[in-house]
Amino acid sequence: MNVFKNPVAKKRWQRFRQSRRGYYSAWILLVLTLCSFGAEMFANNRAILVVHHGQWHFPIYGDVLSGKDFGLDYSYEVNYRELKAGLIEDPNSWILMPPIPFSPLETDLIAGDFPPHAPSVDTRHYLGTDTSGRDVAARLIYGFRTAIIFSLLLLFFNYSVGVAIGCMMGFWGGAFDLFFQRIIEIWSNIPFLYVIMIVASVITPGFWTLLFIMAFFGWTSMTWYMRTATYKEVARDYVMAARALGASGPRIVFRHILPNSVSTLVTFVPFSVASGITSLTALDYLGFGLPPPVSSWGELLKQGTENLEALWLVGSVVSAMTVILMLVAYIGEAIRDAYDPRKFSFYE
Amino acid sequence: MTGYFVRRFLLIIPTFIGITLLVFAITRVVPGGPIERLMTQVQLGGETGSLHRSQGGGTLSDEQMEELKRYYGFDKPMLSSYVIWLKKVLQFDLGLSTRYQDPVWQIIKERFPISIFYGLSTLVLTYAVCIPLGLAKGMYHGSTLDSWSSAVVFLGYALPSYVIGIALISLFAGYWDMFPLGGFISDNYDEFSAWGKAKDIFSHAVLPLIAYLAGSFAVTTLMMKNSLMDNLSADYMRTAAAKGLSRSESVRKHALRNSLIPVATSFGSNISLLLGGSFLIETIFNIDGIGLLGYEAIIERDYPIVMGILVISSLLYLLGNILSDICVALVDPRIRFGGGHGA
Repeated sequence: MNVFKNPVAKKRWQRFRQSRRGYYSAWILLVLTLCSFGAEMFANNRAILVVHHGQWHFPIYGDVLSGKDFGLDYSYEVNYRELKAGLIEDPNSWILMPPIPFSPLETDLIAGDFPPHAPSVDTRHYLGTDTSGRDVAARLIYGFRTAIIFSLLLLFFNYSVGVAIGCMMGFWGGAFDLFFQRIIEIWSNIPFLYVIMIVASVITPGFWTLLFIMAFFGWTSMTWYMRTATYKEVARDYVMAARALGASGPRIVFRHILPNSVSTLVTFVPFSVASGITSLTALDYLGFGLPPPVSSWGELLKQGTENLEALWLVGSVVSAMTVILMLVAYIGEAIRDAYDPRKFSFYE
Repeated sequence: MTGYFVRRFLLIIPTFIGITLLVFAITRVVPGGPIERLMTQVQLGGETGSLHRSQGGGTLSDEQMEELKRYYGFDKPMLSSYVIWLKKVLQFDLGLSTRYQDPVWQIIKERFPISIFYGLSTLVLTYAVCIPLGLAKGMYHGSTLDSWSSAVVFLGYALPSYVIGIALISLFAGYWDMFPLGGFISDNYDEFSAWGKAKDIFSHAVLPLIAYLAGSFAVTTLMMKNSLMDNLSADYMRTAAAKGLSRSESVRKHALRNSLIPVATSFGSNISLLLGGSFLIETIFNIDGIGLLGYEAIIERDYPIVMGILVISSLLYLLGNILSDICVALVDPRIRFGGGHGA
């Protein structure tokens, strides 16, 4: 790909690396995202590894093991936390549990106390539990995975539609352009969250339906940007030269216009990711988002505001959101600086 | 120029019809519309208690259902009922709320003072804080004040205002008990003296106002700072320095005016906030404004109110956009709308 080889892109990449804050934020966010894809390894009620009488088991990604497999007296799935407590005396067997030994959907009720339970190292609920006794830390991790996957997919849909339609609008112009201009005018004047709430209240969406609804109302800003960018490029001399050489429309678009206009889209990516996460959380908070029992930050926030004495609920979600959104904002700042290095000066 | 704005105003009409038709269609066409949903919930014995207010238990007869459909206008095809609705809207009749049985316009009108109170305070505070702060940050770029305020601004920039609102209410109202837990006024408001009343409103307003401000604060401050810094390195500032103006004088007389132009563009979008409020913040702080009304109307499936609020908020938004452009044209004589090329 010539996009990565051209000197402008190289220079931008170097400038991005030079802003340490943004560069490290990008690495941290990447690692966090990759970790969240393996969330089962970090928060689960199944063990990562069980060595039982010389046999190795990987219960998270393997078959369901019943209590009988470990010489216990029940045939439903083995409870690994109890198994671990029971296996301590056995020198041939050991068990490696995830750092947070609870699954996000599992309720763990502590005798003599009503949920939400406060954070405690003894019960291994490091961030406490929510109102139905589910581990907050586990739900936070899985909620992050949902949010980041959701916003990345949303970004993908919005940008694909935006690039496709915007490019066609700018390249063809005429009636096609006029028609979509009116559509975009209508779409961009719709009160976004309000209309999504109306739609979500009528059809009670799942993950993909919600994604579709959000993309359906959210594709316009990228389209508008791409239209303007294409318009500018079409008027340039090199496009005229390509035309004069007899290049076809698709060739001009794909070989000349797109590589020149798409690269700037990168500057919008962090903002789209942030807005994807915040609007999904807002919808979940208002009760119009993903259906229960999916782990989501918004749902935890809602429980937190309904139980203000359980400060760990709001506290952990707000801290998590602060960390993630600050990382994203730092990355966005660094990318913008890389694309548009400002040299400030003044006269005295 | 006038022609351009007249055209913009005329374009409100098709856009408005487009928005309302789209939402109207969504509330009708989607399978399991409100009536069907109400029916199944009635049949299930209303297991989702708070979601709706069906008084009668058991099932409704076909006859009753027909009556219900006629009452809500569901017996006609979508387009003709939309035309009927639109005709009523043109006569300033937004219909009757299905929940309160009162005219929608009256219900919305009652909420206006609260939303205007917050909207206006936010607007005034935003400009009163952000313009001087942005100015100071731009003039003393890299100073202690700049770097410290940058941290706060960046936090407000990264976090959405509703998260800040939730953090504020749980810390200052839930944990430390310094401020009331939401609402606009206390229950025993009428018993207070004039001073007590003012204090009551103020103590209720502190947290939501911070949350409202957090949203616009960061954007406006940064916009002010960046545009000032762009102008500081402009040629005319060199001329001003060369002819012997002091730095503060040249900023005050030349750079400041030009830096206010981008800030003026954001003015219009604040207009819709002025009346509409933010339903997230109003929901969090339980403020009885337009936003909370809209949220409750959606939950209760009170579609006349839902549509009424949509009408008002989209009109405000459309007008706000045009107002922004007028503001820009007023403060910046270089900008000429309508002429030239492209769209």
